[in-house]
Amino acid sequence: MLMWEQIRANKRNSILLLVLMAAVLSFIGWIIGMAFVSDPMAGTLGIVIAIGLWIIMVIVSFAGGDQIFLAASKAVPVTKNVHPQLFNVVEEMAIAAQLPMPKVYIIVDPAPNAFATGRSPQTASIAVTAGLLGRLNRDELQGVVAHEMSHILHRDILFVTLAGVMLGTITLISHVFLRGMFYSSMGSGRRYSSRSNSGGGQAQLVLMIIALIAAILAPLMATLLYFALSRRREYLADAGGARLTRYPEGLASALEKISQNTKPLAVANKVTAPMYIANPLQEEGMKLSDMTSTHPPISERIKVLRAMAGASFADYSNAFRKATNHSTPIPASALKSDEAVDIRQAGEKKAVDVKRQSRDVGDIMWRTNGYHFLTCACGLKMKIPPNFKSDKVKCPRCGRISAVQS
Amino acid sequence: MDCPLCKNPMVVLELDCVETDYCTDCGGIWLDAGELEMLFADSAQAGELVSSFKPAEGIAEKPCRCPICLKKMQKIIASSGDKPVIIDRCPKEHGLWFDRGELSQILAKGTFDKERKVIKLLTEMFNQNGNEENNGN
Repeated sequence: MLMWEQIRANKRNSILLLVLMAAVLSFIGWIIGMAFVSDPMAGTLGIVIAIGLWIIMVIVSFAGGDQIFLAASKAVPVTKNVHPQLFNVVEEMAIAAQLPMPKVYIIVDPAPNAFATGRSPQTASIAVTAGLLGRLNRDELQGVVAHEMSHILHRDILFVTLAGVMLGTITLISHVFLRGMFYSSMGSGRRYSSRSNSGGGQAQLVLMIIALIAAILAPLMATLLYFALSRRREYLADAGGARLTRYPEGLASALEKISQNTKPLAVANKVTAPMYIANPLQEEGMKLSDMTSTHPPISERIKVLRAMAGASFADYSNAFRKATNHSTPIPASALKSDEAVDIRQAGEKKAVDVKRQSRDVGDIMWRTNGYHFLTCACGLKMKIPPNFKSDKVKCPRCGRISAVQS
Repeated sequence: MDCPLCKNPMVVLELDCVETDYCTDCGGIWLDAGELEMLFADSAQAGELVSSFKPAEGIAEKPCRCPICLKKMQKIIASSGDKPVIIDRCPKEHGLWFDRGELSQILAKGTFDKERKVIKLLTEMFNQNGNEENNGN
């Protein structure tokens, strides 16, 4: 059960993006070349250099774009024993989606969120924050993982990774030149300076032109990216997630919990924000549900999921029309070949203890950072750092000596 | 996190959902600001307690650095009387550092909190440690 239209659209958009990027870079290269020497040869040289840069960028984004995002988000690859349930759920959803098992990462941050990246299902990764793991029960975690698995299934990850690298490059160029302009204008702006001459003025003009182009392009690219990602992509992943789990309420209540969070995700930035399941950037103290720019309003996503009568795409489509009065985001081909899917029973519910919960989040962070857990016979829990010097530790409570496994 | 005195990695202890960092070499204890907040979760005591601390002037004790921000910590008088106990507090309020035995001295004086909730928990956590010191004295 694949959304072929969505997959095709993503591949087409990826190619379009690459072409657009090549055109933009060539244009910038040409301007720089012409600005320094007014000779058509210089302009051509500028284009050649720009294309070289473009080739490097393409190689980088295909070879390691996902790795850059994982590293920028401070995601740590984890083994099964750090969080067996997470692995279990990812395995389950990979089988349900008929995809290879993606690599699993944990982001050591108490804000609940998740994202998927990679250029193909074979190289895909799913990253979740410690805060997410601490707050969600199994059904909710499954909902989130299924949403991310749908992004992999729909090849959203390829486009997002490419777009992210491109946007990152543009932002970088814009920063470099804006700063260059700032400093050079400081230098010659000094009154009574005898050093200002026509040569300096020309260089400054060039910097200014480039800076202006980059300054106009950067937000434009960002907006483009946001539009491309936008609501439809998220709605489709929600529909896919509900279908994979056969339990829309899991994702709905996970989104509800995520939207109640008021702490921004420290490791997220403007470039990576569209990748997450819910917008990670917000004003301090502002609820996630208030943000609407890159993601559809969470309240609306929850409303649609809760209105579903079954778990098929047709059910999502009907619920969407009922809840939002907009036309369905599900492509016609997916609806045509769709079969009925019943909603399954809820799994067992975990009792919620706020203190225990925040301690669980902390424990996941300790484990991710390589801490080893020991419980003394007297009941005191000891968390041993990975670089602990001794191989024995004495319990400060009862005096028993325990061996430290390394 | 490393011990502010011996610079060795500290062990994290957990009892009843409260964590402390403990140096197995020097016996010092680090109480994180977040943990203090959790200890006093249902009362405004945390603020009261911290504001009741007075900075200690002219103390010869060597200053040590906050294990979180590495800023030099302030010396604070945590309990007055005939034998004042001087503890270290991070200037950015990341937490409190108790040298070996200081915590049990403060706990013994009972000035730490009125409901004795914190005393009970911390005495429980460092039970034998406190006894040892009492025996030593």
